[in-house]
Amino acid sequence: MTNINPSAGAVEDGAPPDTPGGTSGAGPAVRRTGTSGWRAMLPRWSPKLGVGLGLVVAIALFGVLGPMAVGDPDTVRDIGMTSPGGEFWLGTTQTGQDVLAQLAHATRGSLQIGLLVGVLATLFSAVFGVIGGYVGGAVDEGFSLFSNVMLVIPGLPLVIVIAGFVPVERRGWWTIAVVLAVTGWAASARVLRAQTLSLRNRDYVAAAKVAGEKPWRIISVEILPNLLPLMASQFVFAVILAILSEAGLSFLGLGASNSPTLGTMLYYAQNGFALQYGAWWWFGPPGLVIALFGCGLSLINFSIDEIIDPRLRTVPATGRRARRTAEGGGPRKRKASPAPRRDAFGRDAVLTVENLDVVYRGERPTHAVKNVSLTLGRGEILGLAGESGCGKTTLAYAINRLHRPPAEVTSGTVVFHDRDGTDIDLLALEKEELRAFRWSKLSMVFQGAMNALNPVISIRAQLEDVLTTHRPGMSAEERRERCAEVLRLVGVDPRRLDSFPHELSGGMRQRVMIAMALLLDPQVMIMDEPTTALDVVVQRGILREILRFRDELGFAVVFITHDLPLLLEISDRIAVMRDGEVVEYATAEEIHKRPRHPYTRELLDSFPSLTGERGAFVRTGESGARERTETTVKTVKEAGPR
Amino acid sequence: MTTLEVRGLVKDFSLRSGLRQSRFRAVDDVSFTLTPGRTVALVGESGSGKSTVARMIARLERPTSGEIVATRSDGTRVADRDYRDHVQMVFQDPFASLNPFHTVEHHLARPLKLHGRVKGKADTRREVERLLERVNLTPAGDIAGRRPHELSGGQRQRVAIARALAPGARVVVADEPVSMLDVSIRLGVLNLLARLQREDDLAVLYITHDLATARHFSDDILVMYRGRVVERGPADEVILNPRHPYTRILAAAAPDPEARDRDRLGDALGLKPAGDSALPGDDPGCTFRDRCPSAMEICARRPEDFEVGQGHHVRCRLRPGDDDGARPTGADTTAGRPV
Repeated sequence: MTNINPSAGAVEDGAPPDTPGGTSGAGPAVRRTGTSGWRAMLPRWSPKLGVGLGLVVAIALFGVLGPMAVGDPDTVRDIGMTSPGGEFWLGTTQTGQDVLAQLAHATRGSLQIGLLVGVLATLFSAVFGVIGGYVGGAVDEGFSLFSNVMLVIPGLPLVIVIAGFVPVERRGWWTIAVVLAVTGWAASARVLRAQTLSLRNRDYVAAAKVAGEKPWRIISVEILPNLLPLMASQFVFAVILAILSEAGLSFLGLGASNSPTLGTMLYYAQNGFALQYGAWWWFGPPGLVIALFGCGLSLINFSIDEIIDPRLRTVPATGRRARRTAEGGGPRKRKASPAPRRDAFGRDAVLTVENLDVVYRGERPTHAVKNVSLTLGRGEILGLAGESGCGKTTLAYAINRLHRPPAEVTSGTVVFHDRDGTDIDLLALEKEELRAFRWSKLSMVFQGAMNALNPVISIRAQLEDVLTTHRPGMSAEERRERCAEVLRLVGVDPRRLDSFPHELSGGMRQRVMIAMALLLDPQVMIMDEPTTALDVVVQRGILREILRFRDELGFAVVFITHDLPLLLEISDRIAVMRDGEVVEYATAEEIHKRPRHPYTRELLDSFPSLTGERGAFVRTGESGARERTETTVKTVKEAGPR
Repeated sequence: MTTLEVRGLVKDFSLRSGLRQSRFRAVDDVSFTLTPGRTVALVGESGSGKSTVARMIARLERPTSGEIVATRSDGTRVADRDYRDHVQMVFQDPFASLNPFHTVEHHLARPLKLHGRVKGKADTRREVERLLERVNLTPAGDIAGRRPHELSGGQRQRVAIARALAPGARVVVADEPVSMLDVSIRLGVLNLLARLQREDDLAVLYITHDLATARHFSDDILVMYRGRVVERGPADEVILNPRHPYTRILAAAAPDPEARDRDRLGDALGLKPAGDSALPGDDPGCTFRDRCPSAMEICARRPEDFEVGQGHHVRCRLRPGDDDGARPTGADTTAGRPV
């Protein structure tokens, strides 16, 4: 996870990305729902949803009200096969029946079947999927086996057999509906089971157990509401499938005998040689109603899918357009003043960031990085400190041009000063140049990078892949040698090259990721919380390696973390970020001894010293002071997005 | 007032890989007592078994063997069906421990109703607001109607703490309650826990991997390593005067701004890089000996507890830090003082 959306402030970092109804795109304070609990579950308005609802409602109304408005569909007249017009808006059949009247009754029949199948199939899948998934053990195995068996039985042939087995005179619309429901629930049950398995391990379910809730209540109150969007989507899908299957069955002559449906209408049209006579008005309308109804429901399903997975919500693609205008002399300032080539310690600068602004476009644009200027000296370790949502990750991504829409660099420059003396304007690089540049001159270790290794490819293959891409001239022997070399550098036995990621511990995987970043001998390495997920002892080992490389290989490091004491220990200079701004930028010594900005002081105070005096805030009556401090921070924080 | 006693707690997980089934001992013979008004910190790295201990106390996992007994102040044992009135838990991740579908009020009202602490709607509402005010979430009426995604991480964790208090719990197990929160609000949440503990005379088990907060917020510290408690004692003693090699390494590894340049000088502790354990899952000996800088042959035997100070026990034959080496204090090396 990266800080994709700083607008969500402290809330977004670490939020489960797949929370149903979670609004990672909406921020914490958009809605004031009050008591209405269902608003979060409703799809957001979109043209797709509008068109879909329009189609479905129109057809449903036609099915419900139509039959009352039209005449008897079965009246036989002697004016067979008249084309639309006059008394019969949609013409007549071979035997002179009114097609419009038939269509109205058929639509009603098909809707009935669709609805019943939808309800039954959803019910079956919920019972077998949710209960099995929650209870687990033998019940789950039994239910799973049953639904798997139902899943592998080929649906349509079974339906044909069952439908054919029921005598024609007793084959009403509800028989067909039950048959379709019985054959159609299994796939949904599997999906619901998988989702339930994931939900039942959530902490809030554990919390409900600890509170003493009964299992049935946990299922119905804690788990089921979070499955509702999924079930709604499955319901809609079941309805579409039922209407189509019924049409297919009826077309084969296995449909309901006594009630008209769109399928039976097509069946009679086929038997009456409508196609051969060119009587399009007979088979066209029922086909069109099926198609439009299916289309409408699918469109609605798109919107439901967006509730299940908020990431599907499309963000207006303003990115490219805005950049173009910027390059055409827009707001982004190109190459303002000649970049300072030395850093504060008189070292050559390797990376200069000037007045960088990054904005997340969206309904409420968020200024994630505000006018940030930094200079990274050759061989310097620059600490970037800040809390979640402060823009530190966004800044790192923007430096490497890894940010994606809706994030967008609106102004500022990032210049890389190469070892050979050339300056590279990173923001102006074209695609190919950028790819060649990344990793070979500037590499990155991501937050939680240890999970970024491909689990089915050996360490060796993953490392060599980088070399084959960036150093095509290298021989296989040289590649092998280089891979073993970088692993030795990070303290991993080169014999581990043939291991797969799951065979290594978290600390070792993280070392492998650092080795990968070292492969091409980069001049700058950006490390985004490289040790946060690791234990202190392992972290210590990795920090030691980083410091050693810096001394031996002379590259510069941008080290991003919220752990200020750690930065004070290892970095040369520290930039403290808050709400997208660098509030303090000084040497580690300076920040440690004489922090200027109140926020820096507050961050420093947040880390009680391991060996120092017990502070006044600790377990004494004065702790109230501390709590008050937090309240003020909180208000400041929340004032932002609101 | 309730006292919680944990005796000889063991938890085995069976691992299935292919057809082979192996046993993994996540918690091995852990004993301690939580008393009202005191905080015990359980410290260890991930995988040390500390969260498993928490989940067993909260009755989310069944112990393989051992006992967890809650006793009222009058000496009577808390019956199984009342257990949850007495023992509650605060989970690590406030983003996962609150149901995104439900309001704050739901999260607090349910335990209140379940444990029969309120009657009627107005009473529930009043009690919910009182709980929210106790955890400094004001205006309570406004917060109660919100959903988790409308709250910040710190606010969510306060709701989770209020939820633990709702059934009138006397023993609170806090499993890494602040590790998912922003640094600037961590101390605030810990101070809140400390204040509630003082006010209600709670017994608190604080589980963490952070030695510094463990020292500042607890009275006693237990250090766990691969399922076993390797060192226990008063907080300051364990941190400032660690005796077990593992505790010493842990304390030395914590970031310390005063110790700049130490990494450039190399590691005086001689710690071997962390890797996968070379020891078999049911090895009886010291679980740390594959990484220990001062491992000896005798470490392959089951280590015993030694008292090295007032209430300060260490499960290591070497007891480094003793000025005169491995002098058996009042006991033979083989006849230590098992606790």
